[in-house]
Amino acid sequence: MRPHVIAAIMGKDLREFSRDRFFMVMTVLGLVFYVGIYWFLPDTVDETFTVGVAGDPAIVDALTSTGGGDGLELVVHDDAGALEAAVADGDDVLAGLSFPDGFVDELMGGGTPTVTVYVGPALPPELEPALSAMVRELAFAASGQPLPVESLPEDQVVVGEDRVGDQVSLQQQMEPLFAFMVLLVESITLGALIAGEIQSRTVTAVTVTPASVTDFLTAKVVFGTLLAFLQAMVLLLAIRALGAEPLAMVVAIGLGSLLVTGFAMISGSIGKDFISVMFWSIAFMLPLMIPAFSVLFPGSSAAWVQVMPSYPLVDSILDLNAYGAGWSDIAGNLVLLAGWCVVVVFVGWAALRRRISVL
Amino acid sequence: MTQPSIEARGLRYAYGEHLAVDGVDVVVQPGEILGFLGPNGAGKSTTIKMITGQLRPDDGTVTMLGMDLASHRAEAQSRLGVAFEEKNLYDVMSARENLRFFGRLFGIKEVDVDGLLRRVDLADRADDRVAGYSKGMRQRLMMARAIVNEPDVLVLDEPTDGLDPVSARAIRALIRAEADRGAAVLLTTHDMHEADELSDRVAFINEGRILAEDSPEALKLEHGSRSILVRVKGGAGVEERRIALDGAETAEDLTAAMGGDILTVHTEEATLEDIFVTFAGRGLAG
Repeated sequence: MRPHVIAAIMGKDLREFSRDRFFMVMTVLGLVFYVGIYWFLPDTVDETFTVGVAGDPAIVDALTSTGGGDGLELVVHDDAGALEAAVADGDDVLAGLSFPDGFVDELMGGGTPTVTVYVGPALPPELEPALSAMVRELAFAASGQPLPVESLPEDQVVVGEDRVGDQVSLQQQMEPLFAFMVLLVESITLGALIAGEIQSRTVTAVTVTPASVTDFLTAKVVFGTLLAFLQAMVLLLAIRALGAEPLAMVVAIGLGSLLVTGFAMISGSIGKDFISVMFWSIAFMLPLMIPAFSVLFPGSSAAWVQVMPSYPLVDSILDLNAYGAGWSDIAGNLVLLAGWCVVVVFVGWAALRRRISVL
Repeated sequence: MTQPSIEARGLRYAYGEHLAVDGVDVVVQPGEILGFLGPNGAGKSTTIKMITGQLRPDDGTVTMLGMDLASHRAEAQSRLGVAFEEKNLYDVMSARENLRFFGRLFGIKEVDVDGLLRRVDLADRADDRVAGYSKGMRQRLMMARAIVNEPDVLVLDEPTDGLDPVSARAIRALIRAEADRGAAVLLTTHDMHEADELSDRVAFINEGRILAEDSPEALKLEHGSRSILVRVKGGAGVEERRIALDGAETAEDLTAAMGGDILTVHTEEATLEDIFVTFAGRGLAG
């Protein structure tokens, strides 16, 4: 390998990249778009569950005097109509309980008064049974009768890291996705540059000079990795998402950039033009984005998602940013990601070398 | 004896079951132009790829300027210039940037871009992007790129294919100038007149084998037939008489022709194409 040859090829690649309006627009607009969207997203998690109450003052006063509880806020409304309107509006009150006048007296007399439960459109379905249980418990409490079953002592065991109170904001959830989108766009760019060299056979002109195929491929790997890395770092700096261990983030993004460069080499060796490179790049990248989406929808990912090459990257970004993780926390991910880099770059290198050899 | 600039011996290469090149020898001396002639699929391009280091031969050796290409590829290629049939230039870059880039690959820090572009009559378009160049301009730039390192060996694949006469003449002059400088030139072309005009020697290749190799003049003398075409005004109009110059009755035929009212006399000699047909049983165009 000759450093001056590799530097010359990289300089030429940069010139080609910077002169392609499409690449430049995609790159600049992408960064502006992601940063803009990011700052519009909520950066906090509101976990307070607001329930409106109205009706029999005896039960309403008793309820409000307890002050609700952790994560539960009670709001008193004048009557059932106002309560229903507030729930329908859905902005502040997620659900409502309307107690008929004389509710407590009727209970005490052995009657079975009807409590109206208003369910707003934004109420998570899993909370609806909790509302019914709440009404039942209130009924027993108001009538002075004990619950049919005593509460059993609980022994709560947290499996894995206890992340109660560490809820991830939408901003933090989107960070891995945005970073991965930047890497995806750059993999398309590099793939198109490679395919262009093959189609126009400029690679042949280069490799009959003292530049070898190894020099050519090395230049592509270094240029592609740097291109993707720098843009991902610009994004993370702009959204202030370098985490508590910036160096760990740099390493994670560097490995991620190398990974997408490997995929770009594969798509560049298969694709015949820009469109087919885009097709193959997206075909590779869509499955790789699944881990980033799974962060958006916790609980939706299956175990196989953790086998995806991009999973250790996404998990590292999330851990570093959202949970204040350090080197030791993401070391396993980095090792796994480095392993994937070796495999993917090796395959991309071999595919591209073979493609060049048959020109 | 002078060391050959290119010395390829016993080259063989097969694409799967198809034997494309079968025991080809190519030797080019410094300052010599060897025309490499053959129809499409004859094995020209495969031979050139092996000589320029793009393909590793299945068998045989390539020595360039005394260096074995298999073990000294980079050193040999640093003294090699190649112009491909495909116009493989960087379109988004200017002629100046293309030449500078390739100069850097050869380790040349300051390429005399203006001098090179003047030689191919592109100096006034030096800073225009190649994407806006005509086919002739691209071909001329390809030639300038091939000589960016003042090569000792120049391999040119169809350098004037599809060019207008003016551009073709300029490129032929450049090729001759490079040979006069001392570069060994291996030239493939379909244009028999070009091969005849430029080549010191020609080699015919067909079905992966060299059929004949000599100077164009020697090939024509040895394998062609010479004649003159005489057009004579006779009683029934204009008659054409073809008189073989090497025949037993040449003198009598000429005397007979001179007795008539001669309109025109043309010498006729075999072309390289004619000679190729006698060897290969097919034309060069196929």
